[in-house]
Amino acid sequence: MNLRQKLLLLLSLTVAAVVAAVAWTVLVRIRQVFEQRDQEETALFVSQFQREFQHRSAEVAAAVDRIAAGERVRSMAFEFVQSGDAAPYLTEAQTLAQEAQLDFLEIVGPDGNVVSSAQWPARFGYPEPAATATRTTFLKSEDLPDGTTALGLFAVRAVNRTESATEPAVHLIGGKRLDQTFLADLPVAPGMQICLYSDASPNPGQNSSASLTTAPPTSSTAAFDPKRLVGTGGAVVDAARYQSLIEAARETGQPSSGILYLTGRREDSVSATAIPLKSETEGVLAVLTVAISRSGMVAAQQHIRSIAYGVAAGGILLAILASLWIAARVSRPIEQLALAAEQVAAGNWETRVPERGHDEVSVLARSFNHMTGQLASQRDRLVQSERVAAWRELARRLAHELKNPLFPLQLTVENLVRARELPAAEFDEVFRESTQTLGMEIANLKTIIARFSDFSRMPKPQLERIDARDLVERVRSLYEGSASVAGQEEANIRFEVEVSSEPMPLSADSELLHRALSNLVLNAMDAMPKGGTLTLSAKPHGDQVELRVADTGEGLTPEECERLFTPYYTTKQHGTGLGLAIVQSVVADHAGAIAVQSRPGGGAIFVITLPKAGEAAS
Amino acid sequence: MRWTVLRRFAISCFVALLALPATARTRPHYGGTLRVEIEGEPWQRPRGLARRMVLDGLTTMNADGTARPALAVDWKSENDNHRWQFRLRPGVHFHDGSPLTSPSVVASLNAVCGTNCPWTAIHAVGSSVVFTSDSPMPNLPELLAADEYLVALTVASDGTTPAGVVGTGPFQVTGFMNGVLMLTANDSSWQGRPFADAVELHVHRSIRDQWLDLSIGRADLVEVPVEQLRQAQQQRLTVVASPPVTLLALSVTDSGALGNPKLRAAIALAVDRSALYNVIFQKQGEVTASLLPAALTGYSFFFPTERDLNKAHELRGGLTPPPLTLAAEGDPAMQLAAQRIALNLREAGFTVQVVNAGAAQHADLFLRRLPLESSQPQAALESMLRGAGLAAPVLEQTPAGLYRIERDSLESHTLIPLLDLPRAYAVGGRIRDLHLSPDGTPQLAAASLEDAP
Repeated sequence: MNLRQKLLLLLSLTVAAVVAAVAWTVLVRIRQVFEQRDQEETALFVSQFQREFQHRSAEVAAAVDRIAAGERVRSMAFEFVQSGDAAPYLTEAQTLAQEAQLDFLEIVGPDGNVVSSAQWPARFGYPEPAATATRTTFLKSEDLPDGTTALGLFAVRAVNRTESATEPAVHLIGGKRLDQTFLADLPVAPGMQICLYSDASPNPGQNSSASLTTAPPTSSTAAFDPKRLVGTGGAVVDAARYQSLIEAARETGQPSSGILYLTGRREDSVSATAIPLKSETEGVLAVLTVAISRSGMVAAQQHIRSIAYGVAAGGILLAILASLWIAARVSRPIEQLALAAEQVAAGNWETRVPERGHDEVSVLARSFNHMTGQLASQRDRLVQSERVAAWRELARRLAHELKNPLFPLQLTVENLVRARELPAAEFDEVFRESTQTLGMEIANLKTIIARFSDFSRMPKPQLERIDARDLVERVRSLYEGSASVAGQEEANIRFEVEVSSEPMPLSADSELLHRALSNLVLNAMDAMPKGGTLTLSAKPHGDQVELRVADTGEGLTPEECERLFTPYYTTKQHGTGLGLAIVQSVVADHAGAIAVQSRPGGGAIFVITLPKAGEAAS
Repeated sequence: MRWTVLRRFAISCFVALLALPATARTRPHYGGTLRVEIEGEPWQRPRGLARRMVLDGLTTMNADGTARPALAVDWKSENDNHRWQFRLRPGVHFHDGSPLTSPSVVASLNAVCGTNCPWTAIHAVGSSVVFTSDSPMPNLPELLAADEYLVALTVASDGTTPAGVVGTGPFQVTGFMNGVLMLTANDSSWQGRPFADAVELHVHRSIRDQWLDLSIGRADLVEVPVEQLRQAQQQRLTVVASPPVTLLALSVTDSGALGNPKLRAAIALAVDRSALYNVIFQKQGEVTASLLPAALTGYSFFFPTERDLNKAHELRGGLTPPPLTLAAEGDPAMQLAAQRIALNLREAGFTVQVVNAGAAQHADLFLRRLPLESSQPQAALESMLRGAGLAAPVLEQTPAGLYRIERDSLESHTLIPLLDLPRAYAVGGRIRDLHLSPDGTPQLAAASLEDAP
């Protein structure tokens, strides 16, 4: 990853993190605001409902008051006290309840026993504890003849025999049923659902063990039954989801609120409040649930969230574009510097970078340009120095190489000069020997000059496709015969060739390679004056071809190995030190490499590695 | 002296003239239409109001409970009451004109009495009808006077099935329209033409509407449910009530959870008869624990009627039987009584649910009315036992023997007598000489109308 990418990533991540943090904070705050508003709205509705509930209680109380104030009940009370006979009033409560539109009405005698019951006419004679209720209105669970129980809002009133009487003759206990009809009559806002969970059994037989008295049921211990939650439309489909709220309200006796998710979708959630409805003895008889749909709020939240996500995405996109521009602006000078540094490393010391502005990067650019300028001038000076040194070395080598033949030449010439004093026969003898010596030395000088000439005139290789096996075969055929000439020292050298059978194509100048390989073979033969084994091998090595020339001579020291390819370095008594330098030059011109492996007394192995010729080359 | 005689003669004549209209008012007049309203069905058994007006039995009942001739003029028993021969009254015709014959009587009785009959076989022998049985039938003439065995034409003379009810009674059916069954006087009735020319029988009228119609003169005879009898009297209605003719009883199944006789005995002890009597049935009739009313036998007091909740708990022995179902016959008073009994039983540790009458066949308990078909104790007891499904011919003739039969029958507590109830009707001002038969049915054939022409 380059600097620009790193900068881009860093800037993008930073901006994205900032945008995300801002978006998250905004969304959380919006949700809090919405939920707070939702809670306030729920509390308002609950408050309204409680007032309506109290209003309904007051209506029940008023209805019972009207009955109690009626002449019919007063005369009934008078006659009942006089006769003590409840039989004539068996259906009285039903008639009165029907007239007053009450669901429940019981007339209870002074002994606390039912005289007449509208909801359960057969219950006459049984005690009714609610007659002694201290509250004017209260909730009560009422047993019904079909084995069910019903929850009702009740009010109790005493009816005296006469205006002046202090002891009540009868008590009236009237009430209205708390059921889905009652719920349906309540004012309900749009999206609001009111349900009633009652321990009163809506189905016959479920409360078969219910007491005949109206003691509060053991609601706190009764298990939650979803079927007992009814709404205005009957049974509630998602009743089980209200369980936690309802149970909390039943256990604590306090309202319990929460958000209920009716399905997996957020918009199908409601903000629900469970209000415990208590009996006169503070037992929780039922729980009223007020649920307000959150679909509108959730939709608004989702709309805002969508906008926020859009804005955030746009912001992040813009930030990325800005980061691209900034990263490019910041990294471009550095990239130019890096590129220039690479060019300088590659030897192009003339490289310069543009200098813009006055910041640190521009200072760095100026310094770089100054540095490369310095390096170039130093390189020129160094080249100059090296050139001088090379000329000196060349002069030294030439002087050294030419000095040796010149000395015999000088002596020979001086001998000839002195021989002029000798007799002619002796002179002739000396002259003949001297001219022979002069000829030899002159030939030696020519050889030296030819070597230098060859080194200076190393031609460019003319590449063609050859096979290494042919190259080795050519060298072998050239030198194997000379090694086996009788009477020669080389006759003691055994020539071995190891060539792989598979093709080893090379893109090379066959003459130059032949000359280089011949040079190595001749060196190897020179290294074994007492005979030995010369091994010439060629084998493929991956995408390269490896040529080896090994001898079993005295070998080389590590220091000699290091300097072996240095021009004019030689270990021979009469070598020019240019042979291996020429070989290295040829190998390098073929994109290859040469190395030597040797140890004193262990012979030497020269390894030439050349790239295989590809299909394109063919 | 002569003036005195003349004056006395004149005064006598004047008194005689004054007495003439009075005599005319007390003499029943023929003619007019009786307007009767009922809440139920006119042909409902037992004691549908139209049945006794249209149909006759082989025998009918005297006030003392003995049987007297009706469609049969005489009868005789043979083979120690195993065989009875009833000779039919000659010259009697059904309303469609076909003669009353022994085969038509046999067909009628076979149609109404498939099983649980007092007899084993019935045959037509000439102008007689012969009943035979494997067991003695000492009470057969009295039993045949019951509403159940009234004779109706089953096959007309042309071989077809009659469209309506065709009998030999004092009235014949002439039509049914808009809830009114029209009956007209049978001029050729063997017992003589009824005083009223016709009877309009309005069916399915609520008690409230019936009383309203009576009060405004649109009805001459309306029903008074026993539980409203006191109310009718308070409203100054002219009420005609019978002695107790219906037994209110609780049938208890002897299968399932109630196969345990102790539980059935506990149920019998748990029921509060006094509450039913005092409040629901408004102190009409009498509390009873026997099948026959005290007035008929005199031994009714041997059967205790008091409630004993502690004993009931004791008999239950801590057992908690599964929930029981209690059905009751349709009217509101019966439903209310059933609810009261359910309450009583809950106190005794039973769980009882009151179900509608349609589920009576599968109910564990069934509150029902059993008619007292005869005022003759043996026949009444046998009829009652048959009606309750406890069929057993009553051979005993002494009160002690009847007591033993009742005691043995009730010992299993599959039938718990609760109350003996009367029947009552309210009559309008223009109806005269209305009497109730021993089974509580109004004898409309003998009633006349005040304003009849």
